Order: sequence, then C-alpha cells, then structure tokens
Amino acid sequence: MKLEVKRIVKNFGGLQALKGVSFTIDSPQLVGLIGPNGAGKTTLTNIITGMLAPTSGEIWLNGERIDGMRPYAIARRGLGRTFQVTRAFRRLTVMENMLVPALARNPRADRHAMEQKAREILAFLTLDHLTNEYARSLSGGQQKLLELGRLLMLDPQIIILDEPFAGVHPRLQRTIYDYIRRVREAGKAIILISHDMESIFTLSERLMVLNFGELIADGPPDEVRRMPEVIDAYLGRDEEEETEHA
Amino acid sequence: MRRSAQLNTQYQARYTLWGLAALGVLILLIFPLLFRQQPYWLYIASQALFYAILASSWALLAGYNGQFSFAHMAFMGLATYASGILGRETGFLAFDLSPWVSIPLGVLFTGFVGLVIGYLCLRLRKTYLALFTIAFAEITRLVIKAEVKFTGGPNGLPLKPLLESTSYVPVYYLMVALFLGTLLAMYVLVRSRYGLYFQAVREDEDAAAALGVNVVNTRILAFVVSSMIAGLAGAVFHHFPTVGLVVPDEMIIGRMSLVLAMAIIGGSNSLIAAALGAIFIHFSLEWLQEIPLPAAILRTLEAHRATLESLGFGLGENGLKTNAWRMVGFGMLLMVTLRFRQNGLIAPLLERLSRRHVIQEIAARRRAREEEEIEVSDEPNEQVGGAS
Amino acid sequence: MLTPTVWDASLFHASPQLAVSGEFVLRLIIDGLMIGIIYALMAIGLTLIFSVLNIVSFAHGEFYMLGGYIVYFFLQTFEALPPLLSIVAAAIVTFAVGFLFERIFLQPMARGEVERPNEYAILVTFGLAFFLQFLMLGLVGPFPKKAHRLFDLPQIEGTFFRTTKATLFLGDITISAGRLFAALIALLALAGLLWFMYRTWTGRALQAVSQDRNAAAVVGINPLNMNTLAFSMGAMLAGLAGAVLVTVYSWVPWVGVPASSKSFVIIVLGGMGSIPGSLLGGLIIGVVESLGTGLFPDPARAQAYRDVFGLVIFALVLLLRPTGLFGRKL
Repeated sequence: MKLEVKRIVKNFGGLQALKGVSFTIDSPQLVGLIGPNGAGKTTLTNIITGMLAPTSGEIWLNGERIDGMRPYAIARRGLGRTFQVTRAFRRLTVMENMLVPALARNPRADRHAMEQKAREILAFLTLDHLTNEYARSLSGGQQKLLELGRLLMLDPQIIILDEPFAGVHPRLQRTIYDYIRRVREAGKAIILISHDMESIFTLSERLMVLNFGELIADGPPDEVRRMPEVIDAYLGRDEEEETEHA
Repeated sequence: MRRSAQLNTQYQARYTLWGLAALGVLILLIFPLLFRQQPYWLYIASQALFYAILASSWALLAGYNGQFSFAHMAFMGLATYASGILGRETGFLAFDLSPWVSIPLGVLFTGFVGLVIGYLCLRLRKTYLALFTIAFAEITRLVIKAEVKFTGGPNGLPLKPLLESTSYVPVYYLMVALFLGTLLAMYVLVRSRYGLYFQAVREDEDAAAALGVNVVNTRILAFVVSSMIAGLAGAVFHHFPTVGLVVPDEMIIGRMSLVLAMAIIGGSNSLIAAALGAIFIHFSLEWLQEIPLPAAILRTLEAHRATLESLGFGLGENGLKTNAWRMVGFGMLLMVTLRFRQNGLIAPLLERLSRRHVIQEIAARRRAREEEEIEVSDEPNEQVGGAS
Repeated sequence: MLTPTVWDASLFHASPQLAVSGEFVLRLIIDGLMIGIIYALMAIGLTLIFSVLNIVSFAHGEFYMLGGYIVYFFLQTFEALPPLLSIVAAAIVTFAVGFLFERIFLQPMARGEVERPNEYAILVTFGLAFFLQFLMLGLVGPFPKKAHRLFDLPQIEGTFFRTTKATLFLGDITISAGRLFAALIALLALAGLLWFMYRTWTGRALQAVSQDRNAAAVVGINPLNMNTLAFSMGAMLAGLAGAVLVTVYSWVPWVGVPASSKSFVIIVLGGMGSIPGSLLGGLIIGVVESLGTGLFPDPARAQAYRDVFGLVIFALVLLLRPTGLFGRKL
C-alpha cells in the first residue's frame, strides 16, 4: 500500500485552510494526526477521501492519482474513513448497515459469507446481540462502534479515524482501543485523529502535527513531542492542562 | 427451549405474512365474481390498482430513496401522451403504432426523461427537489395544455384501445397482472443490494459514498425505475377501451397530492403499505361520493336540499353526495397522519407482523447480556416516534 | 414549407394585428409594475416564514387563494359595508388560519417532537394546501369568480389626464382602476409591514430570531411565539395579495398554485430574502410576465405560457444555485 499526499493546498474564500501539506504512508503503521482546533485535520481528511476538492496538489494511492475521483471510487480502492459525528444509517438494521459497504465494494460477494463475517466483527465489537435491531435504537457509543465495524466490511487497506473516542463511554472506549490495535495487527495502515493525547501516544508509531494548515512535525512520537515548535503550537499547553486536571 | 420457541414465532410470522399475501392475491382474483352484477365496481377496482401502482412506485423513490418528487404524475402523463401520439393516425409524429408497441416506446421515453430529471435533481436536497419537481410537473402540464396541435390541448388526446372487448373483466385482470408484476419487480429490487443502497443514500449520502456506494447512479436508478413504472401504469390504463382519453388536468399538482397522500397514509417506507393505502383510499373516496342513506333520512334531507347544495353537498337517489367534501376530510386525514403516525397507518402494522420474532429475540438477547455484565450507563440516542 | 402551419408562422413572425407600439409596451410595463408590487407582498410573506421557521411553506399560494375568496364573499354578503373592510377581513381570517395551523402542526416540529423534520415540513404544508384547495372547492365550486373593483374613480376631464369610472387615461396609455387600487392597497400594506418590522419591539424581535435563535432566546424572546407570529403574518401577507388581486384576476380554488411559484421566483431574484430585494424581484417578475404575455406572438397560447415563463426561470435558478434560494441550506 502506498498513500502519497503531495503539496495539498485548500483555500476557502480568502482563508487558506491547508498550505501545502505533503506526507507518504507506505507501510502498515499507525499514524497519529494531531493539531489544535481549526488546524485543518478534517479538511485534510475530506480532501484525501474525495469529499472536497483541493485547490492544488495531488493525492496518489497505490500509484494511481485519486484526487478528482468521486468519494465512492476512492472508498472502493481501499481507503475508508469514519466521521467525527456518528453517521450510522439509522433506519437500517445493524446487519444491513454492515452489508452496505461489503456489497458496494464487491457486488458479487456471497451474501451469506458476508453476513458471517459481519457477525464475527459484531461479536468483537460486543454488538452481536443487536444484529437485527435498527441502528437508531442503539446508544451513541454503540452507533460509533457500528460505524467502525461497517468500515471493516469495506475491507480497506488504509483507514482514517476522525475522533473515534469523542463522546464515548469509557467502557466502549476500551473496545475501540482494542479495535484499533487489532486492525493495525491485521496489517492495515491507520491515520488516527484525536484530541486524546494518552491514546495517541500509546497507539501511534508515527506522529504528524498540523498547525494552521501546515504540517509542522512528522516523525516518531517521542521525538515529535520534544520538538519546540510542537510544544509552542500545541502540546505544551495541553500537557499543562492535563497535569492541572490530574 | 428458548431457541425452538424463537424459531416457532419466526415461522409463524413468515407463515402469517405469506398467508396474508396469498389471501390478498386471491381476493384480487375472485373480485370480479363477487361483483358480477356491478361492473361499475370492477372499473373502480382497476382504477384503484392504477393508483396503487403509482403510490407504490412513488414510495420506491420517496420512501426508499428519500427523493420527495412531485413529478410522478407528470411522468405518468408523459408516457401516456407519448404512446398516444405515436399511436394516432394523423398529426405530428403520428406513426399509427399498435398500443402494444407504442406503450413500451412511451415508457422508454419516460425513462429517458426520468434520467435527465433525476440527473438534474442530483444536487438538490429535500425542499429544493420538491420545488424543482413541482416546477417541472407544472411546465410539462402547461405546455401539453397549450400545444393543442400536438397534444389535443385541454380537451385531451384520444388513445387507441388496447383490447377489443369493452367488458370490464379483461381490463380488470390486465390491471391485476400489471399491479402484481410491478409490485413484484419493485420488491425484488428493494430486496437486492440496490435496495440497501437506496436506503443508505436516503439516510446519509456522504456516509454511503465513504463506504463505496455510487450515490449518483443510485439516485438516478431510483428516479428512472420509479418514473418508468408510473409511465407504464399510466399508458396501459389510459389505453383501455373503457378509458381511451388522457387530459392534461390529470397531471395537476392536486392529483399528485392525491397519490402522495395515498402513499403517506399507507406508509411510504413500504411498497405494499403504499399500495394498500391507495386501494383503500380510492374505494373509500368512491363510496363517499354518494353515501347510501335510508329513504327516511333522505326524505328529511330533501327539505334542506337548497342549504345542502349551497354548502357543496348534493342529494342523489340513494344517498348524500359529498362532492369535494370527501377530499377535505381526506386532506385532514393526511395532515393528522403526518402529525401523529408519521410512518403511515398500514406500514407499522405490517412491520409489527414481520418483525415480531425479531423484536422478541432482541429483547431476550438484551436481557441475557444484562445478566452477564453490568449494563453500561450509556443512554440510548434520541428515539422519537416509537418502534417502527 | 409550402403550407406552413399556424404554429410555424406564429412562432417566427409577429402577427400583424399585434403591431408593437411604444404606448402598448409602456402600458404593459405599468401593468406589470402594479401587479409586481402585489407579488412582492406575497413573496415577503414567504421570506418571513422561511427566515424565522426555516421551512418553505407549500401552502403559501393557498393563503393567497383564501384571501381572495374572503374578499369576494364579503363584498357579496355585506354590500352596505365599506368595501375596504373586506380586505381587513381577509387579513384577519388568513392570519387566524395561519395561527391555528402553526400551533397545531408546526409547533411540535420546533419542539423536536417530529422525526425527519425536513420531510415533515414539506408534506404537512403540502397537506394544508390540499385541504384548503378542496375546502374552497366544496364551499364555492369550481367555477371562476371575480370580484368587482372596490371603488370607482372620480370623474376627471382633462386633455392628457382624464378618467372614467373604470379607467385612467394618461395620454394614450390606459390604466385599469382595479389594478390601480390593488397596487395602492398593496403599497399601503407594505408600508405598514415596514413600520412593524423596523419600528416596533415585536418586529425587531422577529428579525432577531431570524438571525440567531439562541441569542434571541437569551435576551428573553420566546422563539416558539415568534414562529407562530411569523407564520401567521406570512400567511396574512399572502392573503392580502390575494385579497387585492381577486378584483383583477378571476378566482378558482387552485389559483394559488402558480401564484406561489411566482413567490419562489421572486425570492430567487431578489437578494436572498431581504425585503427590498423581494420588492425589486416582484417588480421584475410583474414586468417580465406582462411583457412576455403581451408580446408573445400567438395570443391564444400567450395566456397559457404566462405561467410557464416564471416556472422556467425558477427551475433554472434552482439548478444553478441549489442552496442559494434563500442563501441557506435546507
């Protein structure tokens, strides 16, 4: 797998949200992406997954240029994402939610095999007792888990998780934690966007810091957290806050 | 023990549903025997089936795919006019085709227009789509009305008979076949992966796209299929020797509201509920046209004939004519249904029948899970509108 | 093309009896401006509803229709009373109907008790339109009605400026008294509306809610009451437009359908829902429609195409700026 993001610029009117962001992911790894609010993390995600067109720059996936492709085409090439706000298909059942990406990715897939796979994923996510329930009767945290499970049914190589821990009950957070580990062990690359520093530093093998539309750091987490510009921009303040709370 | 009990209810539910479906088909088939002496009711029944096809195909587009189009009757009319024009002997584009040829051509033409309109609607969200389709429907109707040379104008366009016989019986059975055929086709479609795509796109376009669903194709497919079915119903129905004429006023927004109300009152997220709603409402409206009353009451009312007539009612030989008032009541029913039973009056019943075992199973498994561990104090999301 | 059909001929050559004179065009423009003011009044009502409740009322045309019928029946029933009272009656009744509908059917939506609110708002206002159309059909029947003009003109004899009871002459240009009075009453209503919106506390509160619901709630404005007020006033403005136009056009229960689509076009044209913008949009639509109809080569089809013009503009604008109708996403 190889995802190359090359000099992505995005302007909204007079505002420059991204000022030439470049990075490459070419092996299964867990990449943390952090940055203060408004740094451009979600904009970057939307551009990589085709929901927004970049003002300039290129994105390549496995040697194929994907910027300008429509979101579904990018998803079918193995690049999946979740959203910051839960977006389960509320009037479909949990199982139907799971089948949508499976059949979209591979229309000729055997439906029974897919259902079996979905059941295994649901069991791991502790949602198996709700297989035939409508998604709208699930709790907010369960809907988030469902979205994560649904994403696996797409069978992606690279996934972008946008704030998977936000607003989730601690017990379900642990499940999400395990989920991320397992997906990583299954040989997929993950870009994890989160404000939860503890999980970012525990999970990440590589850390990118986005500040005012610029990638100001990209490297091993331990090095990145010691870089002065990162501390200035973001981490320093945050760690102080954390100690205060503790 | 529990498991076999579950299986039992599951099979029960399935048998009940199939049993009801078989009963429905049986009633459709023997209906002419029951009303042998009253061919008028046979005609009403074929009309009801015409509306049932329109309501269920609208439900496919609006209920399953979330595109609240008001152009459905316009598509019905377009196919009918196209078929009529291709079939006539003289005039513009007159090829004197047999209805068996002109109807499919008219339906294809409608599919093409549906493709264009569906494509244009892609960027429009709910309210804007409704506004745009109203504009399209009105433009279509007004142009057809104005272009007298092409279309016959306000007086309508005569259509060749599809069948030789002018009896109501073959007309009725042909309509039954068309109704069951289209319903089955749509049912197969919504049970396929496309049905899942339709609903996923209705729920959340961006999320569906992020999971690999081609939103553009899905929306256009729903538009084209539903328009073509509306067109087919319109063209076949108007080619019956008992009808034989189409007028532009059948495409007015008021008539569209009728179909929409039938689907909504039945329940627009179920094809069958929408169809049943249409059949039920069409028969009710027919019956309400002249409510049968005992002679004694009629004689009393006769004294107040003038008052009644000034209020828009009328007195027939056997009862009270309600004229426009039945539609007033019906409009009220639509609003009240929307307010208090947003999923319709019939759909939730079908849903309860078909999901009874699922609901029991989920409840049992939830209980089991609770026993296993202390439940998380994770509140369920907003759960407006009940269980269906 | 040895025997061109009437259609071909009329499309490509202006018919001789319609030799277009300057006076004729001027008359069309004046007619259009007068009707345009009334259209604007109705469009402002729709804007008010949208900006406060964030919904599009599909029953707007039916309030217009209702207002017209109330004037018609008032004039028939109370011949002795001053005719202007009929307009007041139309305003009161449409306000009341709007009030009841908002309280019963829209308020639950604002309180978050309705699932899928977008869909509900479309369908329930559509249901109201359906209900009102057939209610009037039941009450008055399908045959066109037309109210007599409210007043006669005073007799003035001049060379350039002179009048008969029904017509005002300015040189060679004729203006019908019915239209003139309709436009004047609409102007009066418009002035009243402006005064209300900009000079009273309630009017300012309405504007505040339309800009920021939460902030308005903080300073003690109850947004739910503002919803009711905005919807009722919007309905009343449509009712007023119908009330004055019933003396100009003939009235049937579905007369509101093309009228409401005109309101939509006006909002599109006129600066995204501002009151001056709607006024301008109304005038433009009035004139375009009047010229389009008057100058269309085939008079028989002209009447039919009068409504098509506006609808085509409307459809095009929707396609070209799908979220720009009111400058907000729906």
